[in-house]
Amino acid sequence: MTSLYKGKVMRDNKGAVITGMGVICATGNNATEFLASLEEGKRGITEISLFDCSGYASQMAAQIKGYDPLDFFDKKELRRLSRVDQFVLIAAQEAFDDAGVRNTTVNGEHIGVCLGVGAGGMLSAEGYHRQLLNGKRPRPSLLLPFVPSYATDQLAEKFGLQGPRTTITTACSSSATSLAYGAELILLGEAEVMVCGGGEALSELTFGGFCSLQVMDPFPCRPFDARRQGLSLGEGAAVLILEEKERALGRGAHIYGELLGYSIGGEAFHITAPEETGKEEARIMREALQDAGIRPQEVDYINAHGTGTILNDQVETLAIKAVWGEEAYQTPVSSTKSMIGHCLGAAGGLEAAASLLAMQHQLIAPTAGFERGDEVCDLDYVPQAREDEVAIVLSNSFAFGGNCTTLIFGKENL
Amino acid sequence: MEAVVITGVGMISPVGTGKENFWKGLIEGQDGIEEITAFDTAPFRSKKGGLVKGFNPKAFIPSLKIRRLDRASQFAIAASRMALEDAGLTIGENIIPERTGIILGSGFCGVVNSEAFHRGQVLRGPGDLNPILFPNTVPNAAASNVAIELGIKGPNSTVVQSFCTAEAAFLFACQQLIAQKADIMVTGGVDELSTILYRGWNELRLTAWDKGEGEKSAPYDLTRNGFIPGEGAGIMILEQRNNALRRKARIYAQVRACTTTGGATQPEKKVAHSIASALKRGGMQTVDFIDGAGNSSPRLDTVEAEGLRLAIPPHVRDIPISSIKSMLGEGIASGGIRLAADLLIMEQGVIPPTINYEYPDPLCSLRIVREEFKTTVRTILHTGISLDGTYMAILLGRTDGVS
Repeated sequence: MTSLYKGKVMRDNKGAVITGMGVICATGNNATEFLASLEEGKRGITEISLFDCSGYASQMAAQIKGYDPLDFFDKKELRRLSRVDQFVLIAAQEAFDDAGVRNTTVNGEHIGVCLGVGAGGMLSAEGYHRQLLNGKRPRPSLLLPFVPSYATDQLAEKFGLQGPRTTITTACSSSATSLAYGAELILLGEAEVMVCGGGEALSELTFGGFCSLQVMDPFPCRPFDARRQGLSLGEGAAVLILEEKERALGRGAHIYGELLGYSIGGEAFHITAPEETGKEEARIMREALQDAGIRPQEVDYINAHGTGTILNDQVETLAIKAVWGEEAYQTPVSSTKSMIGHCLGAAGGLEAAASLLAMQHQLIAPTAGFERGDEVCDLDYVPQAREDEVAIVLSNSFAFGGNCTTLIFGKENL
Repeated sequence: MEAVVITGVGMISPVGTGKENFWKGLIEGQDGIEEITAFDTAPFRSKKGGLVKGFNPKAFIPSLKIRRLDRASQFAIAASRMALEDAGLTIGENIIPERTGIILGSGFCGVVNSEAFHRGQVLRGPGDLNPILFPNTVPNAAASNVAIELGIKGPNSTVVQSFCTAEAAFLFACQQLIAQKADIMVTGGVDELSTILYRGWNELRLTAWDKGEGEKSAPYDLTRNGFIPGEGAGIMILEQRNNALRRKARIYAQVRACTTTGGATQPEKKVAHSIASALKRGGMQTVDFIDGAGNSSPRLDTVEAEGLRLAIPPHVRDIPISSIKSMLGEGIASGGIRLAADLLIMEQGVIPPTINYEYPDPLCSLRIVREEFKTTVRTILHTGISLDGTYMAILLGRTDGVS
């Protein structure tokens, strides 16, 4: 990363690369299946069976179906693991296996973990709360996973990690920020390897919450499409292994790409609505580009926040136009939420995985279901997966509270 | 890390709001813990809490906005305003909004709203949901509301890391400054105590209760049997040293080191490791004062004491240590108020007492301060401990050459 401001800081001599990936979401139980689903434009948004949502404005979500926790954990473990913790541990196992950093020369001491979570163990806590309100005596251990750092601790303990531990809780940008901070800890020499990403499990509270805001599409969401009516929620986890660049090169690790720059700016505008002209989102994308030392024209693909709400997609498009000008029309923009839903705390991590896979396989994931845009949303939203040269990707994650995170990935000089 | 200095503090606490009241409460050994009347504690074994009393949001927030903000956000806004004012900073005047960031530790902020929203779902069904509640269920609402209210547009994040929540936010904020992502960072922790959270701590059997010796927060005391849940906000202004020097700011302290170690097994060794690494990085053998994380839990206090003995073997019994959680209670983000206290301790040269320390626990045999006393405090070690496996050590040092 190059700093805008003069001054010798250690981070300029280091790099943070991604050497391991683990994914679980509605369209794939691992990174390989996830890649295939992106190529196919497979939509995982179907009727929810996890809880009863009759009576709500929507009954749709990208729920992970056919999942049996006993395939992965024993009964004793499951008493202390909520659904989100399970997803995180499954993805982490895949990421560690993929990176091959476990049981190598790396001392556990230097491996840290920084995860992003959204509702965390809400599903378990809801179970507790519902029983309580119904006059029963619920099991107190249902409350354990409620502290958002629970999944982080579970992951760190399972893999014996003794480095820094942090949990980012900025709703929909949580796991994008976890990658930014994880990379920063590596660049500043606080860790050699950081396990980043995040998880989300569907819960009645978030489901009802988005319904109460009237931003839930009764149909599977259609980001950027003129007929869009809102978002579809999703669930899953993405865990990425970030590693100091020289170290990864030195051990001949397979490298997906490098996190070249980021911004974790705040809009300071409104708790739910984006600043409507898109100037704040544009500023944050520019900050990330500057941090990466990348000109907008060099970006091959924009992995959009693209939730499918009327306002988000409009403002994000305006912001892209503000940064790219006429070039915006030549830059492919797509939303993987069209397939895996909005996975809140896991969204940024899953989208980072999609961005890295795009570079690795020269494959731009589609905005599945996109047919036609509107007066504002008139960019190239990639209705079908497309083979193309992808060397630089920009990924956006915007959240409640105006917590906007933009990440820039590249695969040059690796 | 030495490029980071602290130039402002603001706090809302059970022993007082604002620097003067808070400091007076601390050195007088005022007990901020009392029987809870704000909600019904009848179903619980514990009855007491460290609630903030007499907080007047109108002094900090325009009246029309107050009702839209939850208590945690109100605490955060008020403490951040005080801290910026203390630092002599006004966003948009002498600091640039885009170069000012905020990273807060969130101590179950938003849980009150989650509980109320879900209660509506369960009792009234999906037809009658309150859309005002949901946006404020997110843990980042407090930091975001501060950013919105004060116009902070730089790096913005919220962190939770069990009982090291505020310390983890502090480290993240320091590193945004070192990476030159901002000139000023607002950081610290905010806790809101609610009936649902109080229930949770009780259900998990972590709180103090009256077993005959009274229900009290008694860190390092032989009779301790749990912590007392507390609330409040402690906010610091972190600044790049050059920036602070250029504008001739009053500098409370520089951050000499901030280290973290992970792992739930052999916690004493991990505590020791975090402390030893901090001392090593700070180039120090010992410190003038230890701000202890001891929270009156049977195990945590013992682990801390043993960790300290392992990390600073020849000196540890000479170093005064105090836990102000004896007066404030515990919140997972109470490290924010403690850090704010550290800066005042350094500035005033007075060490506050650990109240309720009557029967020394041989397993915590340290130089625990029972009565406040004056002394020169050039360096402070602040410990953060979560037995879930996070251990942090923050070393603060004066910059004015006082010896």
